Amino acid sequence: MSVLFYIGALLIVIGALCDFFGALGLLRFPNFYVRLHAATVGIIGGAAVPLFGVALLALGADFLPNRYAIAGASFITGVIVLLASPAGSHALAYAAHRAKLVEWEPKVDHLGEVRESD
Amino acid sequence: MSLESQFFLLMKFVIPVYLLAFIIYAVRAFKGPTIADIILAVDCLSFDVAAFMAILAVYFKSVYLVSGAIILALWGYLLDIYIAKHLVSKEVGA
Repeated sequence: MSVLFYIGALLIVIGALCDFFGALGLLRFPNFYVRLHAATVGIIGGAAVPLFGVALLALGADFLPNRYAIAGASFITGVIVLLASPAGSHALAYAAHRAKLVEWEPKVDHLGEVRESD
Repeated sequence: MSLESQFFLLMKFVIPVYLLAFIIYAVRAFKGPTIADIILAVDCLSFDVAAFMAILAVYFKSVYLVSGAIILALWGYLLDIYIAKHLVSKEVGA
């Protein structure tokens, strides 16, 4: 069963790296719509992947008491994060666009050009 | 080398990376120019604390930490939806 343990450990390491790079992108990117991309890296890669990793690792770890409960609950949490985070980010982006919160200067705006020429 | 000592050796490298990421998210949450940035940073922070609590449940060998993680993930989604509803229609509603 230690194969499951090593797969889970690999997923946890990948999740930690994705989390760190997503946090750096969220700090350094210029405006809100670009920061959504870094937030997706930080949530899906940094939260959902290590949750599935913890599920596999707890299944393979024989030193752990109540390991089936930990594995099942972290798998359920991973599925919840995988479903809820894109819906929440999409709702937030839609609300920021509708409320005109974000100042942004697009380099190319084909839709605006077409509307001006009409 | 047993699996338990391998796990604790792994955690020596993983936990500082997570803590550094939490600090950077918190900097964006305090700095954020618009309210959407603050909500996005708090959202990332809550989902990542949920994942970190699942890791800590294996670290401390306790089942009860994972039940908090489920509640935290659902709370992050609820925060997104309520703030978006408030920004669009200027009311929270039902």
